[in-house]
Amino acid sequence: MKESFFRSMTWLHTWVGLLVCWLLFLIFFAGTISFFKDEITIWAEPETHHVKHQVQRVQSQAEQINYVLAQLQQQAPNSLSWRINLPEPRNPILSYGFAEPKQPGQRRAPFNYTYLDPNTLEQLPEPRDTKGGNFFYRLHFDLHYIDVFTARIIVCLASLFMLVALITGIVIHKRIFKDMFSFRANKGSRSWLDAHNVSSVLALPFHIMITYTGIITLIFMLFPYPAETVYENGLRQMFDEALPINKRAKPSEEQRPMVAIKEVLDQIYTKSPNADISYVFVRNANTATSQIVVYLATGKEVVDNGPRYLFNGVTGELEASSGEDWSASAQFYDSMTALHSGRLAEPLLRWLYFFCGVAGCAMIATGCIMWAKRLRERLKAGQKPSFGLKLVETLNLATLMGLPLATAAFFIANRLLPLELAGRADKEILVFFLAWLAMLVVAVIGREKRHWRYSAWLNAAACLLVPVVNALTTDGNWITYLLTQQWALFGIDSAFICAGLLFLLQSKKIPSHKTATNKTKLNKNRLLKEQQG
Amino acid sequence: MMELLQFSLCFLGFNCFALAKFNHFRDVFKKKLTEKQRNSFLLSGWISILLSLVLCVLSDAGYGALLFCGYMALSVLMLMILYSFTVSWVKHVSVLTMSVLLLSGFSVMIF
Repeated sequence: MKESFFRSMTWLHTWVGLLVCWLLFLIFFAGTISFFKDEITIWAEPETHHVKHQVQRVQSQAEQINYVLAQLQQQAPNSLSWRINLPEPRNPILSYGFAEPKQPGQRRAPFNYTYLDPNTLEQLPEPRDTKGGNFFYRLHFDLHYIDVFTARIIVCLASLFMLVALITGIVIHKRIFKDMFSFRANKGSRSWLDAHNVSSVLALPFHIMITYTGIITLIFMLFPYPAETVYENGLRQMFDEALPINKRAKPSEEQRPMVAIKEVLDQIYTKSPNADISYVFVRNANTATSQIVVYLATGKEVVDNGPRYLFNGVTGELEASSGEDWSASAQFYDSMTALHSGRLAEPLLRWLYFFCGVAGCAMIATGCIMWAKRLRERLKAGQKPSFGLKLVETLNLATLMGLPLATAAFFIANRLLPLELAGRADKEILVFFLAWLAMLVVAVIGREKRHWRYSAWLNAAACLLVPVVNALTTDGNWITYLLTQQWALFGIDSAFICAGLLFLLQSKKIPSHKTATNKTKLNKNRLLKEQQG
Repeated sequence: MMELLQFSLCFLGFNCFALAKFNHFRDVFKKKLTEKQRNSFLLSGWISILLSLVLCVLSDAGYGALLFCGYMALSVLMLMILYSFTVSWVKHVSVLTMSVLLLSGFSVMIF
């Protein structure tokens, strides 16, 4: 224990932050990008870019469900699972799929999807094999190349460290309100501290909210014991009771015709006349145990799960519903998940979430850099840096500059990898990690300012290349997206252009050896003149 | 327009808080801040911020509270850039904020 409370908190803030800062940067970075998960997926599938958003989207849903169910009846009448994804405000595509028989060794049955233009109900070409935004979403809490359970435990612990770092940071930052609008540029580590403070303070409510709700979303990984004590079959039983619509009926051999979907939809529209349906699932179609599940959109309510209804597929009787009569704790958990995922957000709030996420990345990045910079400033002339300092500097360069490079590489790979390549989606992810590895190699070779400058150039080139490669390989480009108001595509290209320009600015701001030497000479000359004067 | 009104109120509130600080006030107006002026800025800041929060919550409940957090973050960043790099613009931006506030306010009341 340090000699004073303030010093203890400073020590705790430094070490708790430093131990997991690179992992936290990855989690924050992937999470921030995931706020635009759906938009990234749309960008990654140029085969569907020409599809326009429907003007009468909600009013067309009943007709679309009818049409798709008729298609599914023809294509896979005996499939164990049908799924209809209706167009949403963020995704204009209507898609449906059915489960194919599970092969030995497969955990889940593969789905055969068909994509439709909701305006004409014409079939679209099958999009390329890509994970799109889902890759970043999964990377945020499942990491990659690692067992999912282990990954989530690691992410949980890192989030707890983050929460401790945030609270201790508030305690040790004595001038939160006094220095709220202050940033002193070109003052060495003082400027880094200011940048760290400003990026922390400006989005402090967001940082605390996103960290706390992040822990809550994975709380059953950390504390499964209450549920395991109360429920005989543990967590599974608890979730089944909270979400009875998830309880699947056992497949039956007895063939029975399904109820007309109109009867089901009439019940939905009676309950909620302006219902916006997101998904329709059919289980055990055309059998005695068939079920129809209808998911409604959440709208602007701070809930992650909108109302869901489970109907008997033969009689059309409402068997269960979720989200209407939840206990206070279930509602609290759902609201926390909604706050964290930001799925409820409309464009303005989504961009504000993104902006606050970027502030979080900046907070972590400046914290990492500041630690190394302060230690390096304390080195005496001729003293060699310790292994710890070199390790931190290597990881700083590799992570802070490597992740943006890897992201740009992922997007470029999406356009340049051959469409017929086997396991194409995994190859895109491989490119992501290879680009990150390349930056690690650069960081191992050297961590001087010039390496940061080269990395900034490389990142600028990679980011600016994304809209160029997109324009050369698809029918659209940044300008046509603006003219045709395809905001998702325009936003992603614009984000890469902005990132590219910021990296160019960064490369200009990092002093080269020559300018640094010239500045030193100028300072020396000025001192000499002052002494002579 | 409602969003613009909410944001301009939030921005104005934080701008008042910034001007209630002796160093920022001196940078902008080249004179010393009096205690009376400081209290006026603080009072205006609190009224403006709370009004923004109330409008956010009244129009969108919990969703509005989230928007308000985002507005606060954006306002603080913009003001930090203004006061740290382009302090000579503060007066113009303040006038612009007031104009936007009035226009969006009238627009919300009329439509």
